[in-house]
Amino acid sequence: MKIKTEQFVEVARREMADLNSRAFLQLLPPVIAAMRKAAMATFPDPDAATEYSRAIRAEVVARLPELLEEFEANAIARGVKVIWARDAEEANDFILNLALKRGIKYVTKGKSMVSEELGTNDVLIKNGIEAFETDLGEFIAQQLNRPPFHIVGPAVNVSVQEICDLFMEKAGMEEATTDPVELGYAARVYLRDKFHHLEMGITGVNMAVAETGSIINVENEGNIRLTKSSPRVQVSVMSLEKVVPTMRDAIHVLRLLCRNCTGQSISSYVSIDTGPKKDDEIDGPEELYIVIVDNGRSDLYGDVKAREALRCIRCGACLNHCPVYATIGGYPYGWAYSGPMGQVLNPLLLGLDRTQDLYRACTLCGACKEVCPSGIDHPSMFLYYRSKDVKGDSKLKGKKRDWKEVGIFKIFTLASTLPWLWNLGARLIRPFYNRNAKNGVVSHISGLFEGWFRKRDLPAMPAKTFHERWKDIEKRLS
Amino acid sequence: MVRNARDEILGKLRAVHRADVPQRPEVPSLNETAFDREEMIAKFTEALFLQTGVVHRVKDNQEALDKLAEIAKEEKLEKVMASTDDVIAPLDLPSWGKENGIQILTAGDFKDRNSFKDAVFDEVNAGITGANFAVAESGTLGLIHDRDQARLISLAPILHIAIVPTERFVPIYESAIEKVFEDINAVPGQFTFITGPSMTADIQATIFRGMHGPRKLIVILTG
Repeated sequence: MKIKTEQFVEVARREMADLNSRAFLQLLPPVIAAMRKAAMATFPDPDAATEYSRAIRAEVVARLPELLEEFEANAIARGVKVIWARDAEEANDFILNLALKRGIKYVTKGKSMVSEELGTNDVLIKNGIEAFETDLGEFIAQQLNRPPFHIVGPAVNVSVQEICDLFMEKAGMEEATTDPVELGYAARVYLRDKFHHLEMGITGVNMAVAETGSIINVENEGNIRLTKSSPRVQVSVMSLEKVVPTMRDAIHVLRLLCRNCTGQSISSYVSIDTGPKKDDEIDGPEELYIVIVDNGRSDLYGDVKAREALRCIRCGACLNHCPVYATIGGYPYGWAYSGPMGQVLNPLLLGLDRTQDLYRACTLCGACKEVCPSGIDHPSMFLYYRSKDVKGDSKLKGKKRDWKEVGIFKIFTLASTLPWLWNLGARLIRPFYNRNAKNGVVSHISGLFEGWFRKRDLPAMPAKTFHERWKDIEKRLS
Repeated sequence: MVRNARDEILGKLRAVHRADVPQRPEVPSLNETAFDREEMIAKFTEALFLQTGVVHRVKDNQEALDKLAEIAKEEKLEKVMASTDDVIAPLDLPSWGKENGIQILTAGDFKDRNSFKDAVFDEVNAGITGANFAVAESGTLGLIHDRDQARLISLAPILHIAIVPTERFVPIYESAIEKVFEDINAVPGQFTFITGPSMTADIQATIFRGMHGPRKLIVILTG
């Protein structure tokens, strides 16, 4: 997947002008937010349920290495082959070589954001192995060669006319239709054949349970169960932070995940794999590989603040409550992860320098933080990134601001600490500043400060500053 | 010396000073744990109904077979794949099938995976299974997959019929999980929670049932 995080503003402008996207964003996020609230209300104490889930995720981050070791030991004891990958190259090399060794012609993919992060599909396809996304939204996004619009519903904004044209061209649909149900059925027919003859399936992992060495997948469509059950070889890819301590913990987080994600109490299918199939079973994988992917996360672990990003369970609730996301949709975030969680994660994995606008495009309203079942404090993270960026932090790849901006803030800081300098400055600037005033308001200044005034107005400076007026009043009173 | 990926990743993580593990609050409780069996059945039925599942309640195995015959007629069933689990096996579906003009196939009829897949994907119009658990909290079935409960039977056909004795009701998921993972040496390769038919809302947020799995789920509760 091409990384377009540096085109954030350009893409946001384009999306804000897209009436289809806007109409959609006005409709869907509020509906899902309402469904989430209703689903959370099924708990006797929704706040306690959220707090407990947050505590589990906090513990996962604090105990990450020991939980991963426990998971690995238990998985191996059950017959799983555990593969560790430092980066995308190692992960993709393993998957590709396995597919080549087994003579695989194509794979089906269960929805896996980490595989988008790694660009696994591109590697397979370049080497002559087809990779079919089978989650309906991912399938559509893949065929249209578009990034995901929403982490849960990647193509939910795409018009039915576009999908109809697409399916007729690429999915063997014979009769034109714009009925979503008929389109869904056409996709079922097309992909069913792929599932039937599948020899190797690739999935993500929602949770990896340390206590038992099991992996858990959550879905509504059945494409993940099919990807796991039909072929002889199953590869499930997880980033480090997917681990949870116990089965009970996993079940609790499952309840929060489903409610926050789609407003369901539970998704249609939750499948828990502990090792490959037994010898006497007719379906299920003979070989089960779990690929544990680092891709920059272990480098973050020493930063006690940044690593809180590892709490995220990819539920998408933050997207549905974010006023920025609700205006621009998923495309501007430019990578596998969008919305507030993308703003938290992308800068850490790609560098603060390549994601300059992502952690700045936030009003710090905190709606995301309020609903997050993992307890991530998004606004605090963004302030942290901004400060690290401005300081040019080498570990996080901060860029520093340009010399003019740095200079102006140095002058501002100095003047703020020296009242005589402040007052002198105000008197000197006033005539130049007020030249731009119309009806007592400055709404535009061309040149150096043009950008700042693009969305902000300031009053004109009065003929006398408060200090000057006070001096006069004191004189008159004495 | 080149470290392998595992040691390098774990090494970096372990090199960081281990922070104190934050104290957890108390585990929040759930209402369903106080339900008696009839309350569990009511909650299950209501929840599954909201997911468009159909729930029938019958007295015993004979009534279950009668109900099955009704369903077979309505759904125009011709060829069916059935589990041989401990709920389905005693029903002797092959005999029932002969009486009702329906061909019953089981995983044991197939010599290998590929021929089994051909049948379960292309030839049958329903899958009939038992279930190990019926979880009240969300109208959820719990299936342990093994030789007698192949995974694809409850997944590939367009219709899934599940027969569940009411003794198998539990209030919450944890009750099922406890039993499934009781003996770590006897844990199934796959355990599945099924709640309603397969579905998606990925096209314009319009709900569609039967995306890749069954379009319809019918549950027959016995006892």
